[in-house]
Amino acid sequence: MSLVLQGIVTGILTGGVYALMAAGLTLIFGVMDIINIAQGAFVILGAYLSYWLSVHLHIDLFLGLFITIPVMFVLGVILEWLLIRPLKRDRTQLSILVTYALAIIIEGLLYFFFSADNVKLFAWYTTQSIPVGPFYLPLIYLLAFALSVVLLAALYVLLYRTKFGRSVRATTQNRAAALLIGIDVERVAALTFGVGVALTAAGGMAYGATTPFTPNSHYDLISRLLVIIIFAGMGSLGGALIASVGMLVIENVTSLLWSPVWASTVFYVLLVIILLVRPQGLFGKFATRNQ
Amino acid sequence: MATVAHTQTSAGQPGRSGAGRWKPFQIVFWLACLIAAIVFPLVFSSPAITTIAFFTLVFAAAGTAWNIFCGYSGYIALGHAVFFGSGCYTIAILCAHWHIAGGWLPFAVVPLAGVAAAIVAVPFGVVALRTRRHTFVVITIAIFFIFQLLAYNLRGITAGSSGLELPIPPWSGYVFNLPFYYVILVILILAVVTSWFVRHSKYGLELLAIRDDEDRARGLGVRTGLVKLSAFMLSAFFVGMCGAVWAYFVESIYPNTAFDAQFDVLIALMAFLGGLGTIAGPLLGALILQPVTQYLTISIGQSGLNLVVEGVIFLAVILLLPQGIVPAVRELIFRRFARRDAMPVAPAPPAPAAVAPATEPNPPDSVAAERS
Amino acid sequence: MTGQYSKRFYRVFSFFGILACLAMTLAACSTGGGSSSSGPITIGISLSTSGDFSADGKAFTQGYQLWAKDINAKGGLLGRQVKLVFLNDASSPQQVTTNYQTLITQDKVDLLFGPFSTLLTKPASVIANRYGYALVEGAGGGPSVFTQGLHNVFDVSLPVANNLNSFANYIAAMPAATRPKSAAYATEDDPFTQPQVDSARAILEAAGVTTAYYKVYPAETTDFTPIAAGMVNAKAQVVVTGTLLPDVSAFIQAFHQQHYNPEAFIATAGPDQGTQFLQSIGGAATAEGIMVPNGWYPDLNAPGNAQMVSEYIAQYGGTKSDISSDVPEAYSVGQVIAQAVTQNNSLDQTKLIATLHSGTFQSVQGPVKFDSTGQNTQAQAYLFQWQNSQLIPVFPANVATAPVEFPKANWPA
Repeated sequence: MSLVLQGIVTGILTGGVYALMAAGLTLIFGVMDIINIAQGAFVILGAYLSYWLSVHLHIDLFLGLFITIPVMFVLGVILEWLLIRPLKRDRTQLSILVTYALAIIIEGLLYFFFSADNVKLFAWYTTQSIPVGPFYLPLIYLLAFALSVVLLAALYVLLYRTKFGRSVRATTQNRAAALLIGIDVERVAALTFGVGVALTAAGGMAYGATTPFTPNSHYDLISRLLVIIIFAGMGSLGGALIASVGMLVIENVTSLLWSPVWASTVFYVLLVIILLVRPQGLFGKFATRNQ
Repeated sequence: MATVAHTQTSAGQPGRSGAGRWKPFQIVFWLACLIAAIVFPLVFSSPAITTIAFFTLVFAAAGTAWNIFCGYSGYIALGHAVFFGSGCYTIAILCAHWHIAGGWLPFAVVPLAGVAAAIVAVPFGVVALRTRRHTFVVITIAIFFIFQLLAYNLRGITAGSSGLELPIPPWSGYVFNLPFYYVILVILILAVVTSWFVRHSKYGLELLAIRDDEDRARGLGVRTGLVKLSAFMLSAFFVGMCGAVWAYFVESIYPNTAFDAQFDVLIALMAFLGGLGTIAGPLLGALILQPVTQYLTISIGQSGLNLVVEGVIFLAVILLLPQGIVPAVRELIFRRFARRDAMPVAPAPPAPAAVAPATEPNPPDSVAAERS
Repeated sequence: MTGQYSKRFYRVFSFFGILACLAMTLAACSTGGGSSSSGPITIGISLSTSGDFSADGKAFTQGYQLWAKDINAKGGLLGRQVKLVFLNDASSPQQVTTNYQTLITQDKVDLLFGPFSTLLTKPASVIANRYGYALVEGAGGGPSVFTQGLHNVFDVSLPVANNLNSFANYIAAMPAATRPKSAAYATEDDPFTQPQVDSARAILEAAGVTTAYYKVYPAETTDFTPIAAGMVNAKAQVVVTGTLLPDVSAFIQAFHQQHYNPEAFIATAGPDQGTQFLQSIGGAATAEGIMVPNGWYPDLNAPGNAQMVSEYIAQYGGTKSDISSDVPEAYSVGQVIAQAVTQNNSLDQTKLIATLHSGTFQSVQGPVKFDSTGQNTQAQAYLFQWQNSQLIPVFPANVATAPVEFPKANWPA
């Protein structure tokens, strides 16, 4: 029983990290109607930036975020302006292709600069753990979860307590109407893309501190992130949180009680069933948006 | 208005003014392509080149088949690797079960692999086709992963991660690729002809109507569920045959190479590159993309920069020609002729308005953004 | 309308411009090789510089290049210099198929070296067979490579399935009083790892070591926490993992965090990868006591080994424990093929295949003699353990430089 409890607890903690990555993805979709296939590649890029800072400049992983988050934000804004804004027609479909191209460009550059070696992020706290009842909780999981909570709270404040947040939400609800009431939709889109990408800097650091990675790792990530946000209902931020945690908990418990080889099958089957009952996802508002 | 013009796929639409004089050119063009394809491996006989040509035709055929469903109905599926993989495993299992030796005989199993894939498409389609747009895209991805996991885990049938082997044909290296090349060429021709017949039939118009406005199409009496599912199966049948020939060619298959996520992305990319919903589009896309990626991997793959160059090419294509090469070129030619004839500007062809009143598959808001 | 027209025209125009440039680049890149009897001997190799096998691909490239450098310094092969032609296969069997055909028919290479992994060796060996080439390889040891009925594939390394047996035999031979009572097994679903784990489990169970945990997990797993938690919970004294580098380092971190100290810990692969291993677990202190089976170690008394080790350090830096065991696997391929070619005094592939089947060869991994399926019958599995920042042989006794550290030291604080 304590084993299942442990599975649930670690599932919640790692789920928090996935929530951080998925939040950016679903936010970008909500505002811009585009599916960012490069989100996984941005996570890995963020992890490599943290790696570079910690190995070459000996900057602590968490302190390094004060550098990597702004860098990734600026990168996001530039890429939106360069690659996403020119897409005028069939945005959703074309965005899949554009961001896929972006993902393989990032992967190729990472091979070029960092080689294909497995790397992992280290700091004094990555191997520490705290006794909780019959088992130990890894300190890095707790720290990463705390980081997710802080950043997601900041995101909440940004979206619900600022003027920019109002513009974002207005654009999510109805782009044309937002345009009509004088919201600079393009600026909102650029900043949103920047924020979504900036979140991956933190997600990447947390991911790299718990799992070894290579430039190739983004394929495994993006498929899970996509499934999470569809499960939640695309554009739903709170839903992405719950779905991330739910996915990790289900996988952990299945692999503890049954077998790891069926862990993701259970989740995918659940996803298919839920989409059949609620095609808009668990927390999605629109059944067939714009159709 | 111009935006409406190029969303219309128009490979010689019957009864279209101005299109009639294209007919002879088109026939000559397709015949030339056919002859070029037939003599190609005889002229460029190096196995290194015919290997790439073979893989290119596999993708061209699979892309054409993908387009029969996805291009015409507007449902973007990223799960066709399920059919490819089903084809691979069907031929491997049947050859082992019936003790078929390497040679011509395994090719006889290829249509069975197609049938198996079409059968797999029934439950897949029944489940996935109840959803639309993004949900459909992602549900196909999810179902794809379920199948890949089954291939790993049903060890009794698939041998799990150890993979399966196919019989090895006794042919020598310098002629080895030819039978494979011509078999896949036949499949490709069948796929193109099927695609053409679908496009020029009432059935095809029903698919296009679904793309343009599914609810309205149903209102007009199109049996949308049946039309979608049958097109899905047709598409799966050809992709399954491609998988079977591919498997026989590479001779060993594994869950992650038969059910390959990159296959899903690649055929979609090829269709988009050439022009979604056009007959020549997926062909042209495969013809450009497959040799280019294989060559890039060989020539500059040592540094990992092949991925960068590939990505930059994709970006350039999508940003410069967002509607694909075939529609862009066609429109260019069409406009040139329209000008020379000093016709009053008439770029917008008469849309098949009776069937498809709403010709714009875009979300309305993005249209608004464009016109602003 | 005219403005729009010309804009579109330029778009189409510039697209074809890009395409034309690309075509020219490709034309410039494609090198028409061709062998002559006086120029260098060309050797064709496909390795992965991207995708799943890219880390190993890099180490293999180093091994092949070191061998080429050495043999050229000694005056080459049959008096001719050796030139390696590398192609990238992006870890894809389809690309491997294209690559070996390109190497054989376009570059007209004289000899072929194998790719990395069982998965890529299978298609490569089929292609080589089709053109009558011998495929000598060092990292395609999965059982299915040798059951294809081909006579042209030769693996200079250890047959995979028996890798862990030396470890299992060591445990089984312990006196009953100190012998561990239970073991936990977890293996990746992979043709390289799982047969080894199953074979070790059979030996251990026969010796009375009960199985407290046995799980297979998918190769794509990124979150190893639940599997690690299951093993920790089983509280077994012995842990056997069928892993490659990423998963073994994740397990080590999880065990470390959970303060779970098994008495013996062995992994099929990962701890043999020198610096990469130490980097991914956070230093040599954590590695203390971890075991791995292998056919090679830096101090192995085998022909050319000392030289290869010193040259590796001179070229790539680091210490001898930084050398991945991929490097000698690749190096041995070169040595074996060179001996066979020299013996024949010819590059003829039919003769080469016959000689490879009949002869006995020397390599940095020890003696090599192939059975009829191409597996190396002389290869010996040694048991290695990290002790004081060095990976040293500990079993069997005739090669051991130190006794096995049992029980394994606790994780560092």
